[in-house]
Amino acid sequence: MAATLCGKLLPRQGWLPLTQSVRHGSKAVTRHKRPMHIIKQKLLAVTQYIPPRRVVAPGAYPSQTKKVKEESGLELLLKREVKNVFQDCQMVAVVQNNASNAEDMLILRHRLYKHGITVKFFPNQVMRSFLMGSNYQNMAHLFIGPNVLFVSKEPKAKEMLVTLRGSPQMVLLGACIDGTLLSAQGVVGYSKLPSVTTIQGEIVSGLTMLTSHTASMLQHHPHHLSALLQQYLKEQSPEASAEEAL
Amino acid sequence: MISLIKFAVCGLSNSCRINGQLQGTMQSQFKVLFAGMKTYDVPPDFSGVLLPEKPKLKFMNKVPNFKKARKEAKKLRDIQGPAKAANTFTSGQYAIVAMGGGYIHWGHIEMMRLTINRKMDSRTTFARWRINAPYKPITRKGLGQRMGGGKGAIDHYVTPIRCGRFIVEVGGKVELAEVEPILREVAKKLPFPAKVMSRESLAAMQQEQAEMEENNENPWTFKQIARSNMLGIRKVLSPFDLHHHGRFTGKFHFPGRV
Repeated sequence: MAATLCGKLLPRQGWLPLTQSVRHGSKAVTRHKRPMHIIKQKLLAVTQYIPPRRVVAPGAYPSQTKKVKEESGLELLLKREVKNVFQDCQMVAVVQNNASNAEDMLILRHRLYKHGITVKFFPNQVMRSFLMGSNYQNMAHLFIGPNVLFVSKEPKAKEMLVTLRGSPQMVLLGACIDGTLLSAQGVVGYSKLPSVTTIQGEIVSGLTMLTSHTASMLQHHPHHLSALLQQYLKEQSPEASAEEAL
Repeated sequence: MISLIKFAVCGLSNSCRINGQLQGTMQSQFKVLFAGMKTYDVPPDFSGVLLPEKPKLKFMNKVPNFKKARKEAKKLRDIQGPAKAANTFTSGQYAIVAMGGGYIHWGHIEMMRLTINRKMDSRTTFARWRINAPYKPITRKGLGQRMGGGKGAIDHYVTPIRCGRFIVEVGGKVELAEVEPILREVAKKLPFPAKVMSRESLAAMQQEQAEMEENNENPWTFKQIARSNMLGIRKVLSPFDLHHHGRFTGKFHFPGRV
């Protein structure tokens, strides 16, 4: 290193060394980063930290142990609510709401409430985890994106469809009515069905058609009955004579 | 849509004041409907935290009270290398830690004291100095003086700080997020790089350093080469490098080095 006189103690008074170098480097501690000797720079470059090599890229394979996320209290609470909803209500319809503001929602809720249909909101995550555990697994794929549940104790599909026709941004995705999963067209068809009492009446009338027919026939005048019987015999006898002739 | 038409009709028919009133009443009726899954973390328990009587940073003198002030040699080695004193937490939770060496003078200390005392809530937080008042005299010659003529007169006093030393410690019934902006603002203004750390983050940093040393894939380390004087490298290294294994140079610290 270059040697200069500054800071150096002279052994005798009035003594000066034979040679004095003019140039001197900076001190050890400087405000700037002192220029390092090239060999020291090389040493630092050679002895850099090399992190352990990853054989597999971080996102290449899925993790072996799948982390089972514990359900928080809020999730359990919401699941219980969903379960109650599915137990109590006969009709559960899933509707997608696209950009409806609070005013429209309020009006829709009012109209539906008049028919006894309530509007429910549940997070998709909770709905999907509940449905996967229950019988209605095929309904789980409906819960993607922003959606609303329309639930009611009585299955009032026709009123619901009429109300939904008034708000074009709500799109019916599907419904679970009386334990059967229906698509949008299925719901439309369900709404077109006549009521239970009329169907029951039709079935009863179909079953008792023959007996009622015979009862009505017997109530006719006995002449009519005798004419019919004679006609029947006539038909029988030519057939018998035709058979004998052959 | 329906709502837009309604709004337009309202705007046309009613006056502004009535419209505002109407909108106000409507807004109070409308609820924002959503289905969210956000659950909040349990807030931390601060029941065991004792707040001292004087929570604010105390005033530090510009000049130490000597009868006779002595001029000192420059001794820049009090800035070199890592800190041995005041490099762990004592009473607080969060601290400003120096990441390089330097001198703090009274101006810095006043800035820190005033900023922290102003911005912190003295009911819930307390702050403590981890540095001494300036004690090292720095001399200056007058303007335009030629070289020679003796050492200059004492100009001001400074505190030497090494890398890893704590400057200010803050604690109390607060979380890091409340205290961090204040400490970060102060740390930016210090003459050396400084970081805001909590107990956990300091432990994490030390842990990371230990892990780096352990799982280093490089078969050659500075420590090994310098100690065994391979290639006669001690010619270009100083005894300081031997002690600190290439992680410090002058007042600077290289955090990536192992």
